[in-house]
Amino acid sequence: MSAASTPRRRPLLSSRRLATIASHAYIWLCLILFVLPFLALLSQSLGQRGGASGLGNYAAVFGSFGDNLFWSFKITGLTLLIDLAACLPAAYALVRYPVPGKRLLFSLLQLPLYVPGAVIGLSLLLTYTFVYKIDSMWGLVLAMAVGSFPLMMTPIVVAMKDLPVMFEEASECLGATKWQTYRRIVFPLIGPGVSAGLLLCFIIVFNEYLVTLFVHPPALETAPLKVFNLVRTNGLAPTTAALAVTMQLISFLAVIVFFRIFGTRHFKGTYIL
Amino acid sequence: MTTVHLSNVTKHYGSTVAVQDFNLEVADGEFVTLLGPSGCGKTTTLRMLAGLVEPTGGRILFDDQEVTWLAPRARNIGFVFQAPALFPHMSVADNIGFGLSVKGRDKAFIRQRVDEMLDLVDLEGYGKRLPAQLSGGQQQRVALARVLATDPRVLLFDEPLSALDKNLRDTLKYSILELQRKTRKTAIYVTHDQSEAFAISDRIVVMNAGRIEQIGTQTDIYLKPRTPFVAEFIGANNGLNGTVVAVDGSGDDAVVRVDTGGLLLRRRGRTRLTPGQAVLAYIRPEDLSVLEDGDGRVHLNTIEGTIDRLIFEGASAQLRVEVAGVEMRADISGGQRLALVQREGRVRLGFDDVTLIPSEAEAGTAVVTDGVPDEAGPAA
Amino acid sequence: MARLRTAAFLAPAALLALLLLYAPLAFIVNMSFTVTNSFLSPGGPVYSLENYAAMVQRYLPNLFVTVQLAALAMLVDLVLGFPFAYILVRRIRYRDLVRALMVFPMFGALYVAFGMSFILLPGGPADPLIHAFGLRNTDLLFSLPAVVFAMSIFTFPFMVMSIGTALSNVDPTLEEAAACLGARPWQTFWRVVLPLTRAGVVAGSLMVFGWSIGAFAEPLLLGSLNEQRSLALTLYKRGVVENDYGLSSMMGVVLLSVAFVVTYFSLRYSRGALVD
Repeated sequence: MSAASTPRRRPLLSSRRLATIASHAYIWLCLILFVLPFLALLSQSLGQRGGASGLGNYAAVFGSFGDNLFWSFKITGLTLLIDLAACLPAAYALVRYPVPGKRLLFSLLQLPLYVPGAVIGLSLLLTYTFVYKIDSMWGLVLAMAVGSFPLMMTPIVVAMKDLPVMFEEASECLGATKWQTYRRIVFPLIGPGVSAGLLLCFIIVFNEYLVTLFVHPPALETAPLKVFNLVRTNGLAPTTAALAVTMQLISFLAVIVFFRIFGTRHFKGTYIL
Repeated sequence: MTTVHLSNVTKHYGSTVAVQDFNLEVADGEFVTLLGPSGCGKTTTLRMLAGLVEPTGGRILFDDQEVTWLAPRARNIGFVFQAPALFPHMSVADNIGFGLSVKGRDKAFIRQRVDEMLDLVDLEGYGKRLPAQLSGGQQQRVALARVLATDPRVLLFDEPLSALDKNLRDTLKYSILELQRKTRKTAIYVTHDQSEAFAISDRIVVMNAGRIEQIGTQTDIYLKPRTPFVAEFIGANNGLNGTVVAVDGSGDDAVVRVDTGGLLLRRRGRTRLTPGQAVLAYIRPEDLSVLEDGDGRVHLNTIEGTIDRLIFEGASAQLRVEVAGVEMRADISGGQRLALVQREGRVRLGFDDVTLIPSEAEAGTAVVTDGVPDEAGPAA
Repeated sequence: MARLRTAAFLAPAALLALLLLYAPLAFIVNMSFTVTNSFLSPGGPVYSLENYAAMVQRYLPNLFVTVQLAALAMLVDLVLGFPFAYILVRRIRYRDLVRALMVFPMFGALYVAFGMSFILLPGGPADPLIHAFGLRNTDLLFSLPAVVFAMSIFTFPFMVMSIGTALSNVDPTLEEAAACLGARPWQTFWRVVLPLTRAGVVAGSLMVFGWSIGAFAEPLLLGSLNEQRSLALTLYKRGVVENDYGLSSMMGVVLLSVAFVVTYFSLRYSRGALVD
């Protein structure tokens, strides 16, 4: 066998392979950057300062910060309920009914997403104080709801559009009332879309500090607001880091659970996940 | 025991006319098919029967009860969609029981009824499966079981087989017919597929552009088309524009001269045509036969032309012949089709039957229709 | 009847937006024309253009810093985000893992800024790296690059998803066809991929810009006095701390106008068609 007839061997490092390796390296570099601030907080939360050590910082989260966590969960839960009540019927009507000026209306309902938090905060602070005379927890809940409901609307609208109208027609032809059709056919079938909306709203509202800073009632301090206030007044204390890490872990857990159950495709159109 | 009566049913979408003055009586237990090209209004008519679309005008009666304005759920109908439309989050049994469950029937009754229905469509033991675990044909059978479970007054089918492949279509259309016969339900079936309509209907309603062209049995609409549309839409046909030149004194026979080329066609049988009248003459391709020299057969009409081409289709062959400036199609079967494969040049054709339809102002020029229905989707 | 039902279905969302967004925004637009606290004075509000005059005379640098920060963050996102989105859509199988990790910045600019300030702190984990470049911690900790970097991390996922969505709508065979026709990779990118994803790129960039306009925690925790002049922060100081409602409302209106203009074009490029 002459050398000329032996097939050329694949080079160990072809340019194609190098490109592949570089691609993966780039992705991971960016991912590390994403997670770096979190990892920094994590390492700091486990650090020592003033005697309290390691996991002791986390004891503080559920001890002295317990109230703040509780408020965060409560505010977030109530906000999600209001978001649902606003978005489910609106998304249904926008997709199924002939609404004059549909595009414009949808854009107007999406707009809260694009108003800077500080502007929403200031405008609500002033109207709550001078017009609506609200100074209870509900002011905060409503503020969270108006800022987050567009996030819930989009995945529900997409899910409704992906649901053939035939299922509803079949249900009605089989004798179901409108309400029976909504409850037994429409809601279950758009469930994943609704859940995607719930998840998005959850992670945004649960971690919201800016609008909260403007409109929170004096006695009420949610966990993210607590983090914000402590960072400003108390520097970078490990216990503060522990609270921030806890908040992010809870949020991350919600994301992971959702991904495991429903997958990732239900965020189509949200441009967020 | 339900008759269906539509009188002057009309549906306009803005300035578009979807259905205009639709009149039809369907007897109890009858199987009527609405047949027409896509966009002819057949699906809209069916959806008005179901209550999914509100008519612009007219009345719909089930027996003596007016249902024109009733919601679908108050009509007690069974609607089978183009796709099976099984609720994907419910088991087969829950799908079949849905109609009874929303009416609040008790669980034991529903379970028994579901079993009966599964039995009826030959799907015993499939109750616990999810729709996604069934084949397309099985899904459509579950859809049938689901509408039958509620014991509807009328069965409505909206091209239920169009999403399935051909073999399945053939078997399933007979299952549908068999179930309808067994349950003795009045059925109205929409399709654009002639062979489907011919296979299962008692009567066929041919529709075009929102109007009824003809109502009749298979032989009626095939052998005695009343309008040019029916003659051209149903089956293949050779259509020729002509003028009546003579009618027998007793009104029995007519002679027509074809406008292009001046060919003379004779037709036997009673007629109400008068000389000078413009008509469309239709000759079915299968009625044309190739005459060999010394052929003993005698035909009322004999024409001669040049072979343009022969399309061999297996069981039969399509012969395209140019006769006096007009292209005609002849469908040849049997041994003769093989002899024709190599044939070129002149050929003589003989035929007896000619259908004459008075042509309206807008009637077109000579046409050969091949009777292949529009494969596009159904009317919106 | 049908109309009534439609109206009833839309009412909750419409009321929420109307009463808690549009009415309050109208309220601060009105407020922005009143002199400081005159709204509260017994004699009624005094209307003038004073606040807007102040904007032109004194606060233009603030507007400049705000726009500068947002524009820089957008640029960083665009340059880093396009290759990221491309690799994510075309080359990678563990996409769900990437998407899951990508949510971390979304939890909030606050945590990002907090974590970054810890990294850059003297004695922090990045010390060796910082010293290796001959810098001091203070060069980075309270600086424009730190603010921009934190802002771009926060908005990076939005950019990637917007470009990624556009990319996944482009048939990969088009790129293969270009390659088979002899195009070099950069030619394929420049003449095939980029034109087809332009809508996603523009929409993503505008969205990132619009969101960055309101940056609050990043300049506050990571910026020098210069970056802390950003409008959202100034608005908070003038309005909530100093109770100058007129002036802070004016800043809100300016921010809002910039955000709306940007959003208008962003929506035109991307998702307006969602409900059609």
